[in-house]
Amino acid sequence: MTAVQFLQNFLNGISIGSVYAIFALGYTLVFSILGIINFAHGAVFTLGAYLTYSLAVGQFGIGGLFADLQLPFHFSFPFALLTGSILSGFAGVLVERCAFRPLRKRGADPLLALVSSLGVALVTVNVLQYLVGSEIYSFPSDVYGDIRPAFVLHFGEKLVVIRTVQIIIFSVCMVVLALLGYLIGWTRIGKALRAVAENAATASLLGINVDRFILYTFFLSGFLGGLAGSLVGTSFGIAGPYFGVSYGLKGLAVIVMGGLGSIPGAVLGGMVIGLAEAFVPSEYSAYKEAVAFAFLFAALLIRPQGLLGRSHIQKV
Amino acid sequence: MALLELENLTVSYEAIQAVRNLSLEVREGEIVTLIGANGAGKSTTLRAVSRLLKVQTGRIRFDGCDITGHAPDAVVRLGIAQSPEGRQVLALQTVQDNLELGAYVRHDHVAIKEDIARMYRLFPRLEERREQSAGTLSGGEQQMLAIARALMSRPRLLLLDEPSLGLAPLIVLEIFSIIRDLNAGGTTILLVEQNAKLAMQHSHRTYVLEAGQITFSGLSQELLSDERVLRAYLGD
Repeated sequence: MTAVQFLQNFLNGISIGSVYAIFALGYTLVFSILGIINFAHGAVFTLGAYLTYSLAVGQFGIGGLFADLQLPFHFSFPFALLTGSILSGFAGVLVERCAFRPLRKRGADPLLALVSSLGVALVTVNVLQYLVGSEIYSFPSDVYGDIRPAFVLHFGEKLVVIRTVQIIIFSVCMVVLALLGYLIGWTRIGKALRAVAENAATASLLGINVDRFILYTFFLSGFLGGLAGSLVGTSFGIAGPYFGVSYGLKGLAVIVMGGLGSIPGAVLGGMVIGLAEAFVPSEYSAYKEAVAFAFLFAALLIRPQGLLGRSHIQKV
Repeated sequence: MALLELENLTVSYEAIQAVRNLSLEVREGEIVTLIGANGAGKSTTLRAVSRLLKVQTGRIRFDGCDITGHAPDAVVRLGIAQSPEGRQVLALQTVQDNLELGAYVRHDHVAIKEDIARMYRLFPRLEERREQSAGTLSGGEQQMLAIARALMSRPRLLLLDEPSLGLAPLIVLEIFSIIRDLNAGGTTILLVEQNAKLAMQHSHRTYVLEAGQITFSGLSQELLSDERVLRAYLGD
């Protein structure tokens, strides 16, 4: 591999890796509070992509019940992205109210919530298919407005192509990561959130309303899931209502790789999986995911607790 | 008037009736001790008052207001703070953050800063370790932090669960003298202790709990010389 090829792969890798990171953080936040994987996260990813699409474009127009639906308005891309992600956050809140809270209040085994969240995921995906069909939706090429689609760096004969969408994805993810880091690390809400994650009973003895913080967590998680889905959608198109499923699995790989419940671990894991995929030669690109998962297995053999995980995990 | 009043309280814990038909009261300005053997239901009683455990029958009243159905965070807002058994500091957060979280229900930022400074004067060893994560503190320091954190909400009633557990005798004495000072400063205290003699020497009244029920109660000074209590709990 030449240095130029390396640079190209590296840039591709950190761009998609940054989306994996924010998507996986959605899993991590819920896991660190409740100790369970939210299997509806992939469905919220899909939902977010469709929401942002409809808000940015103003219509669907291919299949499903909404085929002839025209929204009376459409937003600029940044505003559509923000609104779509916020709506996804509320979808996350609904997931908590439907799939998690009722079981928690009855003292059910946490594993049951795993199944109920899977149920919510399937219902969401099926309803989406009914409403918008299963065709591929691609964002129009001018969705970002009047900016060039790519930047080309010349290295003698060799070229490195950076698509504008890759720059947008990377920048948005970095801004979101910085804001999230500030929120969790430095604010009163973040400290309370970490208290709930460490010990919910102790947190409630300090006057923290644990249920409310679980809702906040699901909102943040849904926001991150919807944002990631929207960004992937703008880059590669929305491959149908099931496209969140494979990203959902990849997200799981990312958090296991980084260390369950670890926030820096989710970011590092996302970058590692993104880069691992990017360095798969293009003639083998059909096996990209297999390579990413092989990487995961190898890493786990060496470090079973994940890259940044604590060696002793109390929650299951 | 009683600040805290438990009336015919029955609490089950893991399918066992841990507390049965228990009634007690704590009056404003008192230190009241709850003593009894391991598993007698002492911690269960405190956890029920903090609303961490569901009450089967009976009533809990605080300052005349029925709090039996309240959520744990709601009773903190009303003025009840607990320093839980086994200390339960937030091990991953710093000493300073633990104290700030203790004041979570308050919004008077200037007074919170003053109170943190007051806690550091009360427990100078905590100030030396203010930026350390609480998990790195010794057992005695964690106990001090748990008490200081509970005080940060400026409670009217402080529930202390086994403050002497696992601590060296000198530190235990230090903690009990701080409990006396806090009480002199106006905080009402309900204290659960294994170290019965010490707790009774430092409290106004005592309830003796046996298998989830109260068997004796009275002025601590009088119970200290009661032969039945002496034999069963004071080991003399």
